[in-house]
Amino acid sequence: MTDPLWMVGIKAFLVVFGLLTAFAYMTLIERRLLARFQVRWGPNRVGPMGLLQPLADAIKSILKEDIVPTKADKVVFVLAPVIAITFALVGFGLIPFGPKGAFFGFDPWVINLDVGILYLFAVSEMAVYGIFLAGWASNSKYSLLGSLRSSAALISYELALGMSLLAPVMLVGSLNLQDIVEWQDKHVWLILPMFPAFVLFTIASMAEAARTPFDLPEAEQELVGGYSTEYASIKWALFQMAEYVHLITASALIPTIYLGGWKMPGFIPDIPYLWMFLKIALFLFFFIWIRATWFRLRYDQLMRFGWGRLFPAALVWFLVVAFYVALNGGKA
Amino acid sequence: MSLVELLAAALLLLSALVVVRASNAVHAALALIANFLVIAAVYVGLEARFVAMTQVIVYAGAIVVLFLFVIMLLSAAQANVGKDLLPGLQVPAILGSAALAGVLIYALSRFSAPANPGVLNGGLPQALGPLLYGPEKWLYALLLVGFLLLVATIAAVVLVEPERIVPEARKPAAEEKELVER
Repeated sequence: MTDPLWMVGIKAFLVVFGLLTAFAYMTLIERRLLARFQVRWGPNRVGPMGLLQPLADAIKSILKEDIVPTKADKVVFVLAPVIAITFALVGFGLIPFGPKGAFFGFDPWVINLDVGILYLFAVSEMAVYGIFLAGWASNSKYSLLGSLRSSAALISYELALGMSLLAPVMLVGSLNLQDIVEWQDKHVWLILPMFPAFVLFTIASMAEAARTPFDLPEAEQELVGGYSTEYASIKWALFQMAEYVHLITASALIPTIYLGGWKMPGFIPDIPYLWMFLKIALFLFFFIWIRATWFRLRYDQLMRFGWGRLFPAALVWFLVVAFYVALNGGKA
Repeated sequence: MSLVELLAAALLLLSALVVVRASNAVHAALALIANFLVIAAVYVGLEARFVAMTQVIVYAGAIVVLFLFVIMLLSAAQANVGKDLLPGLQVPAILGSAALAGVLIYALSRFSAPANPGVLNGGLPQALGPLLYGPEKWLYALLLVGFLLLVATIAAVVLVEPERIVPEARKPAAEEKELVER
Protein backbone atom coordinates (compact mmCIF):
# COMPACT_ATOMS: atom_id res chain seq x y z
CA MET A 1 0.00 0.00 0.00
CA THR A 2 1.36 3.37 -0.93
CA ASP A 3 0.15 6.83 -0.13
CA PRO A 4 -2.14 8.71 -2.52
CA LEU A 5 -0.47 11.22 -4.77
CA TRP A 6 -1.81 14.30 -2.99
CA MET A 7 -0.32 13.04 0.27
CA VAL A 8 3.04 12.49 -1.41
CA GLY A 9 2.85 16.09 -2.62
CA ILE A 10 2.07 17.38 0.86
CA LYS A 11 4.88 15.35 2.37
CA ALA A 12 7.32 16.54 -0.29
CA PHE A 13 6.34 20.12 0.50
CA LEU A 14 6.78 19.49 4.22
CA VAL A 15 10.20 17.96 3.66
CA VAL A 16 11.33 20.89 1.52
CA PHE A 17 9.96 23.40 4.01
CA GLY A 18 11.47 21.49 6.91
CA LEU A 19 14.84 21.22 5.23
CA LEU A 20 14.94 24.94 4.51
CA THR A 21 14.09 25.73 8.12
CA ALA A 22 16.61 23.16 9.25
CA PHE A 23 19.21 24.81 7.01
CA ALA A 24 18.51 28.22 8.52
CA TYR A 25 18.83 26.96 12.07
CA MET A 26 21.74 24.74 11.14
CA THR A 27 23.70 27.90 10.28
CA LEU A 28 22.84 29.37 13.67
CA ILE A 29 23.69 26.18 15.56
CA GLU A 30 26.91 25.84 13.63
CA ARG A 31 27.95 29.40 14.44
CA ARG A 32 27.04 28.95 18.11
CA LEU A 33 28.85 25.62 18.35
CA LEU A 34 31.93 26.89 16.54
CA ALA A 35 31.92 29.76 18.99
CA ARG A 36 31.71 27.37 21.94
CA PHE A 37 34.63 25.36 20.55
CA GLN A 38 36.60 28.59 20.47
CA VAL A 39 35.46 29.67 23.97
CA ARG A 40 33.27 32.58 22.88
CA TRP A 41 29.54 33.16 22.55
CA GLY A 42 28.51 33.37 18.92
CA PRO A 43 25.41 35.27 17.71
CA ASN A 44 23.21 35.99 20.75
CA ARG A 45 21.81 39.47 20.10
CA VAL A 46 18.92 38.98 17.65
CA GLY A 47 16.15 37.37 19.66
CA PRO A 48 16.60 35.17 22.73
CA MET A 49 19.80 33.12 22.40
CA GLY A 50 20.15 34.49 18.87
CA LEU A 51 17.15 32.46 17.71
CA LEU A 52 15.97 35.16 15.31
CA GLN A 53 19.36 35.48 13.66
CA PRO A 54 18.48 33.13 10.73
CA LEU A 55 15.35 35.17 10.09
CA ALA A 56 17.34 38.39 10.06
CA ASP A 57 19.88 36.85 7.71
CA ALA A 58 17.12 35.64 5.39
CA ILE A 59 15.43 39.05 5.28
CA LYS A 60 18.74 40.72 4.58
CA SER A 61 19.49 38.21 1.86
CA ILE A 62 16.15 38.71 0.13
CA LEU A 63 16.21 42.50 0.27
CA LYS A 64 19.76 42.72 -1.09
CA GLU A 65 20.23 43.85 -4.66
CA ASP A 66 20.36 40.79 -6.89
CA ILE A 67 23.20 41.43 -9.32
CA VAL A 68 23.68 39.58 -12.59
CA PRO A 69 27.05 40.40 -14.15
CA THR A 70 26.77 42.10 -17.56
CA LYS A 71 28.83 39.55 -19.44
CA ALA A 72 27.36 36.52 -17.68
CA ASP A 73 25.33 33.93 -19.57
CA LYS A 74 21.96 35.08 -18.19
CA VAL A 75 20.00 31.84 -18.55
CA VAL A 76 22.67 29.54 -17.15
CA PHE A 77 23.56 32.04 -14.44
CA VAL A 78 20.02 31.87 -13.07
CA LEU A 79 19.66 28.16 -13.74
CA ALA A 80 22.77 27.08 -11.81
CA PRO A 81 21.59 27.86 -8.24
CA VAL A 82 18.19 26.37 -9.07
CA ILE A 83 19.84 23.12 -10.19
CA ALA A 84 22.03 23.09 -7.09
CA ILE A 85 19.14 23.46 -4.64
CA THR A 86 16.72 21.19 -6.53
CA PHE A 87 18.99 18.20 -6.67
CA ALA A 88 20.09 18.77 -3.10
CA LEU A 89 16.49 18.68 -1.85
CA VAL A 90 15.13 15.70 -3.79
CA GLY A 91 17.47 13.17 -2.20
CA PHE A 92 16.09 13.47 1.31
CA GLY A 93 12.64 12.04 0.64
CA LEU A 94 13.86 8.45 0.62
CA ILE A 95 15.00 8.34 4.21
CA PRO A 96 12.63 6.38 6.47
CA PHE A 97 11.85 7.95 9.84
CA GLY A 98 9.64 5.19 11.19
CA PRO A 99 7.52 2.14 10.33
CA LYS A 100 4.71 2.18 7.80
CA GLY A 101 1.88 4.46 8.84
CA ALA A 102 3.89 6.36 11.43
CA PHE A 103 3.02 9.73 9.88
CA PHE A 104 -0.63 10.13 11.02
CA GLY A 105 -1.55 6.92 9.25
CA PHE A 106 0.63 7.66 6.26
CA ASP A 107 4.19 6.54 5.56
CA PRO A 108 7.00 8.54 7.19
CA TRP A 109 8.89 8.91 3.91
CA VAL A 110 8.09 10.68 0.67
CA ILE A 111 9.05 7.99 -1.81
CA ASN A 112 10.15 4.43 -1.37
CA LEU A 113 12.22 3.24 -4.33
CA ASP A 114 13.48 -0.25 -5.02
CA VAL A 115 16.60 1.35 -6.44
CA GLY A 116 16.92 3.87 -3.61
CA ILE A 117 20.68 4.00 -3.31
CA LEU A 118 21.15 4.30 -7.06
CA TYR A 119 18.67 7.15 -7.01
CA LEU A 120 20.67 8.92 -4.32
CA PHE A 121 23.77 8.60 -6.48
CA ALA A 122 22.03 9.89 -9.57
CA VAL A 123 20.76 12.90 -7.65
CA SER A 124 24.10 13.74 -6.10
CA GLU A 125 25.79 13.40 -9.49
CA MET A 126 23.34 15.88 -10.94
CA ALA A 127 23.95 18.29 -8.07
CA VAL A 128 27.51 18.75 -9.33
CA TYR A 129 26.09 20.63 -12.31
CA GLY A 130 24.97 23.48 -10.10
CA ILE A 131 28.55 24.28 -9.12
CA PHE A 132 29.84 23.52 -12.54
CA LEU A 133 27.51 25.79 -14.49
CA ALA A 134 27.73 28.58 -11.91
CA GLY A 135 31.44 28.96 -12.51
CA TRP A 136 31.09 29.01 -16.27
CA ALA A 137 28.07 31.29 -16.42
CA SER A 138 29.78 33.92 -14.27
CA ASN A 139 32.14 34.59 -17.18
CA SER A 140 35.09 35.02 -14.86
CA LYS A 141 38.27 32.99 -15.04
CA TYR A 142 38.51 32.76 -11.25
CA SER A 143 34.99 31.44 -10.93
CA LEU A 144 35.54 29.00 -13.78
CA LEU A 145 38.74 27.61 -12.27
CA GLY A 146 37.11 27.41 -8.85
CA SER A 147 34.12 25.54 -10.22
CA LEU A 148 36.21 23.14 -12.32
CA ARG A 149 38.28 22.36 -9.27
CA SER A 150 35.29 21.82 -7.02
CA SER A 151 33.42 19.66 -9.47
CA ALA A 152 36.50 17.55 -10.20
CA ALA A 153 36.87 16.97 -6.47
CA LEU A 154 33.19 16.15 -6.02
CA ILE A 155 33.19 13.67 -8.90
CA SER A 156 36.34 11.99 -7.60
CA TYR A 157 34.91 11.49 -4.13
CA GLU A 158 31.61 10.29 -5.56
CA LEU A 159 33.42 7.17 -6.81
CA ALA A 160 34.71 6.33 -3.36
CA LEU A 161 31.24 7.05 -1.99
CA GLY A 162 29.66 4.57 -4.38
CA MET A 163 32.32 1.93 -3.85
CA SER A 164 31.97 2.13 -0.07
CA LEU A 165 28.21 1.64 -0.32
CA LEU A 166 28.51 -1.52 -2.42
CA ALA A 167 29.73 -3.65 0.49
CA PRO A 168 26.73 -3.09 2.83
CA VAL A 169 24.36 -3.36 -0.13
CA MET A 170 25.82 -6.76 -0.99
CA LEU A 171 25.45 -7.96 2.58
CA VAL A 172 21.82 -6.83 2.81
CA GLY A 173 20.97 -7.79 -0.75
CA SER A 174 18.76 -4.79 -1.42
CA LEU A 175 19.08 -1.21 -2.61
CA ASN A 176 15.99 -0.15 -0.68
CA LEU A 177 16.66 1.95 2.41
CA GLN A 178 13.75 0.41 4.34
CA ASP A 179 15.12 -3.06 3.66
CA ILE A 180 18.51 -1.95 4.92
CA VAL A 181 16.97 -0.64 8.15
CA GLU A 182 14.94 -3.84 8.62
CA TRP A 183 18.00 -6.00 8.02
CA GLN A 184 19.91 -4.11 10.69
CA ASP A 185 17.05 -4.56 13.14
CA LYS A 186 17.00 -8.30 12.48
CA HIS A 187 20.76 -8.89 12.48
CA VAL A 188 23.18 -6.26 13.65
CA TRP A 189 23.93 -2.61 13.00
CA LEU A 190 26.00 -2.48 9.83
CA ILE A 191 28.65 -0.33 11.49
CA LEU A 192 29.94 -3.43 13.30
CA PRO A 193 30.60 -5.77 10.35
CA MET A 194 31.15 -2.85 7.96
CA PHE A 195 33.31 -0.51 9.98
CA PRO A 196 35.82 0.23 7.16
CA ALA A 197 32.95 1.02 4.78
CA PHE A 198 31.42 3.27 7.43
CA VAL A 199 34.64 5.24 7.82
CA LEU A 200 35.13 5.55 4.07
CA PHE A 201 31.54 6.61 3.53
CA THR A 202 31.73 9.24 6.26
CA ILE A 203 34.93 10.71 4.84
CA ALA A 204 33.58 10.69 1.30
CA SER A 205 30.31 12.30 2.30
CA MET A 206 32.22 15.03 4.11
CA ALA A 207 33.90 15.73 0.81
CA GLU A 208 30.59 15.54 -1.03
CA ALA A 209 29.10 18.19 1.22
CA ALA A 210 32.30 20.22 0.82
CA ARG A 211 33.05 20.32 4.54
CA THR A 212 36.39 20.67 6.22
CA PRO A 213 38.90 19.11 5.56
CA PHE A 214 37.64 19.07 1.98
CA ASP A 215 36.07 22.53 1.73
CA LEU A 216 38.37 24.00 -0.88
CA PRO A 217 35.43 25.06 -3.08
CA GLU A 218 34.64 27.81 -0.63
CA ALA A 219 38.05 28.64 0.72
CA GLU A 220 37.86 32.42 1.01
CA GLN A 221 41.59 32.78 0.68
CA GLU A 222 41.76 30.67 -2.45
CA LEU A 223 40.65 31.70 -5.92
CA VAL A 224 38.59 34.51 -4.38
CA GLY A 225 35.94 32.12 -3.12
CA GLY A 226 35.46 29.76 -6.04
CA TYR A 227 32.36 29.27 -8.12
CA SER A 228 30.03 31.56 -6.18
CA THR A 229 32.17 34.68 -6.47
CA GLU A 230 29.79 36.53 -8.80
CA TYR A 231 26.63 35.58 -6.97
CA ALA A 232 24.78 37.88 -4.61
CA SER A 233 21.57 37.98 -2.64
CA ILE A 234 19.18 35.03 -2.84
CA LYS A 235 21.13 33.15 -5.52
CA TRP A 236 24.17 33.01 -3.29
CA ALA A 237 21.94 31.93 -0.42
CA LEU A 238 20.61 29.09 -2.58
CA PHE A 239 24.13 27.70 -2.98
CA GLN A 240 24.65 27.88 0.76
CA MET A 241 21.32 26.15 1.26
CA ALA A 242 22.23 23.38 -1.17
CA GLU A 243 25.46 22.76 0.67
CA TYR A 244 23.80 22.51 4.07
CA VAL A 245 21.03 20.32 2.71
CA HIS A 246 23.73 17.99 1.39
CA LEU A 247 25.24 17.95 4.85
CA ILE A 248 21.90 17.18 6.51
CA THR A 249 21.18 14.44 3.97
CA ALA A 250 24.60 12.90 4.60
CA SER A 251 24.03 13.05 8.36
CA ALA A 252 20.72 11.27 7.84
CA LEU A 253 22.07 8.68 5.41
CA ILE A 254 24.98 7.54 7.56
CA PRO A 255 22.75 6.45 10.49
CA THR A 256 20.15 5.01 8.11
CA ILE A 257 22.67 2.75 6.43
CA TYR A 258 25.13 2.03 9.21
CA LEU A 259 23.47 2.80 12.55
CA GLY A 260 20.08 1.11 12.31
CA GLY A 261 18.03 4.07 11.12
CA TRP A 262 15.15 4.92 13.42
CA LYS A 263 15.46 1.64 15.33
CA MET A 264 17.44 0.99 18.45
CA PRO A 265 18.81 -2.39 19.53
CA GLY A 266 17.72 -4.53 22.46
CA PHE A 267 15.46 -3.25 25.21
CA ILE A 268 15.37 0.39 24.02
CA PRO A 269 11.93 1.06 22.51
CA ASP A 270 11.84 1.96 18.80
CA ILE A 271 10.45 5.47 18.73
CA PRO A 272 9.89 6.73 15.17
CA TYR A 273 11.43 10.12 14.36
CA LEU A 274 13.09 10.63 17.76
CA TRP A 275 16.06 8.27 17.36
CA MET A 276 16.53 9.34 13.78
CA PHE A 277 16.60 13.03 14.71
CA LEU A 278 19.02 12.30 17.53
CA LYS A 279 21.33 10.38 15.24
CA ILE A 280 21.19 13.16 12.64
CA ALA A 281 22.03 15.69 15.35
CA LEU A 282 24.91 13.51 16.49
CA PHE A 283 26.48 13.46 13.05
CA LEU A 284 25.84 17.16 12.46
CA PHE A 285 27.63 17.86 15.74
CA PHE A 286 30.46 15.60 14.65
CA PHE A 287 30.83 17.44 11.33
CA ILE A 288 30.83 20.83 13.05
CA TRP A 289 33.38 19.55 15.52
CA ILE A 290 35.64 18.48 12.64
CA ARG A 291 35.21 21.89 11.04
CA ALA A 292 36.21 23.66 14.25
CA THR A 293 39.27 21.58 14.90
CA TRP A 294 40.77 20.51 11.61
CA PHE A 295 42.88 21.96 8.83
CA ARG A 296 42.04 22.06 5.16
CA LEU A 297 43.68 19.84 2.57
CA ARG A 298 45.55 21.43 -0.30
CA TYR A 299 44.02 20.69 -3.71
CA ASP A 300 46.67 18.20 -4.85
CA GLN A 301 46.52 16.46 -1.47
CA LEU A 302 42.76 16.35 -1.78
CA MET A 303 42.88 14.62 -5.15
CA ARG A 304 45.70 12.29 -4.17
CA PHE A 305 43.85 11.24 -1.04
CA GLY A 306 40.61 10.64 -2.95
CA TRP A 307 42.09 8.61 -5.79
CA GLY A 308 45.12 7.11 -4.11
CA ARG A 309 43.79 6.16 -0.68
CA LEU A 310 40.03 6.33 -0.38
CA PHE A 311 39.06 4.71 -3.67
CA PRO A 312 41.48 1.73 -3.51
CA ALA A 313 40.56 1.14 0.13
CA ALA A 314 36.87 1.05 -0.79
CA LEU A 315 37.65 -1.31 -3.66
CA VAL A 316 39.60 -3.71 -1.44
CA TRP A 317 36.87 -3.77 1.19
CA PHE A 318 34.28 -4.38 -1.52
CA LEU A 319 36.26 -7.40 -2.76
CA VAL A 320 36.64 -8.82 0.77
CA VAL A 321 32.90 -8.57 1.40
CA ALA A 322 32.16 -9.96 -2.07
CA PHE A 323 34.25 -13.05 -1.29
CA TYR A 324 32.52 -13.50 2.04
CA VAL A 325 29.04 -13.16 0.57
CA ALA A 326 29.85 -15.39 -2.40
CA LEU A 327 31.30 -18.14 -0.16
CA ASN A 328 28.13 -18.04 1.92
CA GLY A 329 26.07 -18.77 -1.18
CA GLY A 330 24.94 -15.18 -1.70
CA LYS A 331 23.49 -14.82 1.79
CA ALA A 332 24.89 -12.99 4.78
CA MET B 1 -0.77 6.82 -26.14
CA SER B 2 -1.27 8.65 -22.91
CA LEU B 3 -0.65 12.34 -22.33
CA VAL B 4 2.54 11.64 -20.36
CA GLU B 5 3.96 9.57 -23.20
CA LEU B 6 3.21 12.29 -25.71
CA LEU B 7 4.77 14.89 -23.46
CA ALA B 8 7.90 12.77 -23.00
CA ALA B 9 8.20 12.20 -26.74
CA ALA B 10 7.78 15.92 -27.43
CA LEU B 11 10.40 16.80 -24.81
CA LEU B 12 12.82 14.25 -26.24
CA LEU B 13 12.49 15.59 -29.77
CA LEU B 14 12.64 19.21 -28.65
CA SER B 15 15.76 18.76 -26.49
CA ALA B 16 17.46 16.74 -29.23
CA LEU B 17 16.70 19.55 -31.66
CA VAL B 18 18.28 22.08 -29.27
CA VAL B 19 21.36 19.85 -28.96
CA VAL B 20 21.84 19.97 -32.71
CA ARG B 21 20.81 23.55 -33.36
CA ALA B 22 22.08 25.54 -30.34
CA SER B 23 24.90 27.88 -31.29
CA ASN B 24 26.32 27.79 -27.77
CA ALA B 25 28.00 24.48 -26.99
CA VAL B 26 27.23 24.69 -23.26
CA HIS B 27 23.54 25.22 -24.01
CA ALA B 28 23.68 22.20 -26.33
CA ALA B 29 25.25 20.10 -23.57
CA LEU B 30 22.55 21.26 -21.14
CA ALA B 31 19.86 20.22 -23.60
CA LEU B 32 21.62 16.86 -23.87
CA ILE B 33 21.37 16.45 -20.09
CA ALA B 34 17.66 17.26 -20.27
CA ASN B 35 17.33 14.68 -23.02
CA PHE B 36 19.05 12.03 -20.88
CA LEU B 37 16.85 12.82 -17.89
CA VAL B 38 13.67 12.47 -19.95
CA ILE B 39 14.97 9.24 -21.46
CA ALA B 40 15.62 7.92 -17.96
CA ALA B 41 12.01 8.73 -17.09
CA VAL B 42 10.90 6.86 -20.21
CA TYR B 43 12.98 3.86 -19.11
CA VAL B 44 11.26 3.91 -15.72
CA GLY B 45 7.94 3.98 -17.52
CA LEU B 46 9.06 0.93 -19.52
CA GLU B 47 9.94 -0.95 -16.30
CA ALA B 48 13.70 -0.67 -16.76
CA ARG B 49 14.63 1.01 -13.50
CA PHE B 50 18.25 -0.03 -13.17
CA VAL B 51 18.99 1.12 -16.70
CA ALA B 52 17.18 4.39 -15.96
CA MET B 53 19.34 5.12 -12.92
CA THR B 54 22.50 4.09 -14.76
CA GLN B 55 21.49 6.38 -17.59
CA VAL B 56 21.39 9.33 -15.22
CA ILE B 57 24.54 8.37 -13.30
CA VAL B 58 26.78 7.46 -16.23
CA TYR B 59 25.50 9.51 -19.14
CA ALA B 60 24.10 12.63 -17.50
CA GLY B 61 26.37 12.51 -14.47
CA ALA B 62 29.72 11.47 -15.93
CA ILE B 63 29.90 11.70 -19.70
CA VAL B 64 28.29 15.11 -20.16
CA VAL B 65 30.40 16.41 -17.27
CA LEU B 66 33.42 15.33 -19.30
CA PHE B 67 32.02 17.09 -22.39
CA LEU B 68 31.45 20.24 -20.37
CA PHE B 69 34.94 20.11 -18.89
CA VAL B 70 36.38 20.04 -22.38
CA ILE B 71 34.10 22.79 -23.68
CA MET B 72 34.86 25.04 -20.74
CA LEU B 73 38.60 24.43 -20.60
CA LEU B 74 38.97 25.12 -24.33
CA SER B 75 36.61 28.13 -24.16
CA ALA B 76 34.81 26.50 -27.06
CA ALA B 77 31.29 27.50 -26.10
CA GLN B 78 30.89 29.76 -29.16
CA ALA B 79 31.75 27.39 -31.98
CA ASN B 80 30.62 29.38 -35.01
CA VAL B 81 33.19 32.14 -34.79
CA GLY B 82 35.03 31.13 -37.96
CA LYS B 83 33.77 30.71 -41.50
CA ASP B 84 31.35 28.00 -42.50
CA LEU B 85 33.85 25.55 -43.96
CA LEU B 86 31.29 23.47 -45.82
CA PRO B 87 28.68 25.87 -47.18
CA GLY B 88 25.55 24.49 -48.78
CA LEU B 89 25.64 21.28 -46.77
CA GLN B 90 22.64 22.17 -44.64
CA VAL B 91 19.99 21.18 -47.17
CA PRO B 92 21.55 17.79 -48.01
CA ALA B 93 22.01 17.11 -44.30
CA ILE B 94 18.35 17.81 -43.58
CA LEU B 95 17.29 15.68 -46.57
CA GLY B 96 19.56 12.85 -45.44
CA SER B 97 18.24 12.79 -41.91
CA ALA B 98 14.67 12.98 -43.19
CA ALA B 99 15.34 9.98 -45.43
CA LEU B 100 16.84 8.05 -42.50
CA ALA B 101 13.83 8.89 -40.35
CA GLY B 102 11.53 7.77 -43.16
CA VAL B 103 13.26 4.41 -43.48
CA LEU B 104 13.17 3.86 -39.71
CA ILE B 105 9.49 4.78 -39.48
CA TYR B 106 8.69 2.41 -42.35
CA ALA B 107 10.64 -0.41 -40.70
CA LEU B 108 8.99 0.16 -37.31
CA SER B 109 5.52 0.33 -38.82
CA ARG B 110 5.98 -3.23 -40.18
CA PHE B 111 7.46 -4.52 -36.91
CA SER B 112 5.29 -6.08 -34.23
CA ALA B 113 6.80 -6.44 -30.77
CA PRO B 114 6.81 -9.91 -29.19
CA ALA B 115 4.49 -10.46 -26.26
CA ASN B 116 5.77 -8.87 -23.05
CA PRO B 117 8.28 -11.35 -21.61
CA GLY B 118 7.71 -10.03 -18.08
CA VAL B 119 10.67 -11.75 -16.47
CA LEU B 120 12.72 -8.69 -15.66
CA ASN B 121 10.95 -7.87 -12.38
CA GLY B 122 10.75 -4.16 -13.11
CA GLY B 123 14.31 -4.09 -14.41
CA LEU B 124 15.76 -4.25 -10.92
CA PRO B 125 19.45 -5.11 -10.53
CA GLN B 126 18.48 -8.29 -8.66
CA ALA B 127 16.91 -9.57 -11.88
CA LEU B 128 19.62 -8.25 -14.20
CA GLY B 129 22.62 -9.58 -12.22
CA PRO B 130 22.18 -13.27 -13.06
CA LEU B 131 21.76 -12.36 -16.74
CA LEU B 132 24.86 -10.17 -16.79
CA TYR B 133 27.07 -12.54 -14.84
CA GLY B 134 25.57 -15.80 -16.04
CA PRO B 135 28.01 -17.76 -18.27
CA GLU B 136 25.20 -18.81 -20.58
CA LYS B 137 24.12 -15.21 -21.11
CA TRP B 138 26.25 -12.09 -21.11
CA LEU B 139 29.27 -12.94 -18.95
CA TYR B 140 31.77 -13.03 -21.81
CA ALA B 141 30.37 -9.85 -23.30
CA LEU B 142 30.76 -8.25 -19.87
CA LEU B 143 34.39 -9.35 -19.61
CA LEU B 144 35.07 -8.01 -23.09
CA VAL B 145 33.53 -4.69 -22.09
CA GLY B 146 35.84 -4.66 -19.07
CA PHE B 147 38.79 -5.21 -21.40
CA LEU B 148 37.50 -2.44 -23.65
CA LEU B 149 37.39 -0.06 -20.68
CA LEU B 150 40.97 -0.97 -19.79
CA VAL B 151 42.07 -0.25 -23.35
CA ALA B 152 40.12 3.00 -23.33
CA THR B 153 41.81 4.12 -20.11
CA ILE B 154 45.30 3.36 -21.41
CA ALA B 155 44.51 5.00 -24.74
CA ALA B 156 43.26 8.14 -23.03
CA VAL B 157 46.43 8.36 -20.94
CA VAL B 158 48.68 7.82 -23.96
CA LEU B 159 46.79 10.34 -26.07
CA VAL B 160 46.98 13.04 -23.43
CA GLU B 161 50.58 12.58 -22.31
CA PRO B 162 52.53 11.13 -25.25
CA GLU B 163 55.93 12.48 -24.20
CA ARG B 164 55.86 10.69 -20.86
CA ILE B 165 54.92 7.38 -22.40
CA VAL B 166 57.73 7.30 -24.98
CA PRO B 167 60.27 4.61 -23.95
CA GLU B 168 63.52 5.91 -22.50
CA ALA B 169 65.61 4.23 -25.22
CA ARG B 170 64.15 6.41 -27.93
CA LYS B 171 64.80 9.73 -26.28
CA PRO B 172 68.61 10.00 -26.80
CA ALA B 173 68.14 9.26 -30.48
CA ALA B 174 65.73 12.15 -30.80
CA GLU B 175 68.16 14.43 -29.02
CA GLU B 176 70.98 13.38 -31.34
CA LYS B 177 68.84 14.15 -34.34
CA GLU B 178 68.17 17.57 -32.87
CA LEU B 179 71.90 18.12 -32.45
CA VAL B 180 72.57 17.06 -36.00
CA GLU B 181 69.99 19.48 -37.27
CA ARG B 182 71.65 22.30 -35.39
